[in-house]
Amino acid sequence: MADQHPPQTPVQAQRAQEAAGRYTRAGLWLQVILLVLLALEPWLVSSFRVMDVAAKVMIFAVLVASYDLLLGYTGIFSLAHAMFFGLGAYSLALIIHHAGAPLWYHLPLAALLATGLAVLVSLVVAFFSLRLKALFFVVMTLALAQFADILSIQWHSLTRGEDGVSFKLPGLLDVGWSGGKLWGLTVNGRLLTYYIVLAAAALLFVGLVRFVRSPAGRVLKSIRDNEQRATALGYKTFNYQILANVFGAVVASLCGVLYALWVRFVGPESVMSTAIMLNILLMLIIGGMGTLYGSIVGAAFILVAESWLADGLRAVKVFLPDLMVLQRLADRWILYFGVLFVLVVIFFPKGLVGSAREIAARRRARVRE
Amino acid sequence: MAAAEPLIRSQELTVRFGGNVAVNRVSLAVEPYTLKSIIGPNGAGKTTLFNLLSGQYRPTGGRIFFKGRDITGLNAAARTHLGIGRSFQLTNIFPNLTVLENVRLALQSRAGISYIFWRNFRAYPELEDRAYELLQRVLLEGRWDAVASTLTHGEQRKLEIAILLALDPELLLLDEPTAGMSLEEVPAILELIRDIKDAGQRTILLVEHKFDMIMSLSDSIAVLKEGRLICDDAPEVVSCNPEVLEAYLGGGAKDA
Ligand SMILES: Nc1ncnc2c1ncn2[C@@H]1O[C@H](COP(=O)(O)OP(=O)(O)O)[C@@H](O)[C@H]1O
Ligand SMILES: [Mg+2]
Repeated sequence: MADQHPPQTPVQAQRAQEAAGRYTRAGLWLQVILLVLLALEPWLVSSFRVMDVAAKVMIFAVLVASYDLLLGYTGIFSLAHAMFFGLGAYSLALIIHHAGAPLWYHLPLAALLATGLAVLVSLVVAFFSLRLKALFFVVMTLALAQFADILSIQWHSLTRGEDGVSFKLPGLLDVGWSGGKLWGLTVNGRLLTYYIVLAAAALLFVGLVRFVRSPAGRVLKSIRDNEQRATALGYKTFNYQILANVFGAVVASLCGVLYALWVRFVGPESVMSTAIMLNILLMLIIGGMGTLYGSIVGAAFILVAESWLADGLRAVKVFLPDLMVLQRLADRWILYFGVLFVLVVIFFPKGLVGSAREIAARRRARVRE
Repeated sequence: MAAAEPLIRSQELTVRFGGNVAVNRVSLAVEPYTLKSIIGPNGAGKTTLFNLLSGQYRPTGGRIFFKGRDITGLNAAARTHLGIGRSFQLTNIFPNLTVLENVRLALQSRAGISYIFWRNFRAYPELEDRAYELLQRVLLEGRWDAVASTLTHGEQRKLEIAILLALDPELLLLDEPTAGMSLEEVPAILELIRDIKDAGQRTILLVEHKFDMIMSLSDSIAVLKEGRLICDDAPEVVSCNPEVLEAYLGGGAKDA
């Protein structure tokens, strides 16, 4: 690779090459295509179920990406991430519920409250437990998450306990509202909410991507690699860990608001429980840690499987009623799910996106030689 | 007026680990823009002294002054910002980042842009270019895009020095920079240290075993033995000191 242009160093050559290929990068086009597909989805498939899964995939992709910021980029293993999601979801639900009737300003207010609570709680978590050894940090965050879960169940006057809170959205976003047809599709509250979710999720995701590619994001990566060295370079590593914690918590909390906005129902089981935390972990591991984009694949994989794998197997039962063996197997779709998960972990130890990147990098290296 | 003031000075510096006094009442001063070597047998406390000066360890007694200011209570990050940079005897790099990124991170710390989280880190090409220059300086530019963990031991030592230079410290603490390098690589690194010294902008404290080489390189040589400073003088004087000859050159001839 000896460079024949003396004034240009290999570093500059690489930079020039990257600048030239900025708008032809495969990754960029994949993102654009994904965004266009999601934007046109209501017109492409007229099924509420598909739209529902698409919205949830977007929300969970961002939620998992914000968790990746902690675990994959900074090496902070927290089990309180679902709690921040719940905090955001309850912010919206409870404001509208306790106000009696939904009003426009409830939405920005909920976003503000969700952000404020997330900053406050994550700062407390960081100050009290980030200095602890990793194991104690895990236990502390788990205890805190359990506490929040129990609180949401027991504090009945505030949260309506296990029953949860269903609520309506204001004005145009209400399911009842309908504004006529546009290119053959009814424009209603659902559709508008879908686009709010799409826009917000895209913005938050871009925010996360920018964060990990920023100077501060690079410091996070170096802390994960060799914290003591980072300190010797003059980085106050504790501050960066707090920054990552707060940033991740705020994004998770805003994802909670979006989730509440989309589902219009919030209960302990659906936003606070350990099951959500496990789902986040599962999605992250399947998609691949430390990639951010892996969270999109992981979230899509799990939510699509959850939604259709069970159905597919039930269909087997209906169409092949005589085959007892198949029926038995179909009843155990959860088991398949587990097997699928194990296979992914074995064959793609870095997750789907992480492994794909590795293969691409190896191919590129071979081309260069 | 500051010429009379030593750049760094320790006063009765002491640290004990349990019953073992690793550094024992060491009072040492390094004048600005000079190179002082520290020698002594293995286990004499040289690395521990560096750890105290750079803030990795807290002393159990004594004080440290940098440009006349008491820095005993400052942590390692704060001392780095003041201008104290060190290399580690045991290689200490970011193993999973590229060679260039290792150096760039040090430059970024120095440039004070590190809390920025809305701009792309590649939006600072001057840092990358400067990092590459530093790699050229330590003869490592051929490996700029390699992952650091794939470097040979000698290459990792060079990377350490590049990282250190990137921090642009006034005071360099070099702990056996040539340890583990192949014989052919050693002269180039010692030449580099000589260059840095001759440029006249930095003060260097060097732990190095190759006695004949440091003789010509050093303005002064300090000798540690069992945690105590037994001698600190010009190279010609130190090499004639009977106690040194006995303690170091005679007894520990394996190091020479
Ligand atoms: N963190 C520590 N805990 C306990 N003992 C230590 C520690 N660091 C150094 N020592 C002891 O201090 C003494 C000096 O070690 P060191 O400074 O590494 O010597 P040198 O670098 O001169 O070979 C040794 O006896 C070593 O065991
Ligand atoms: Mg040593």
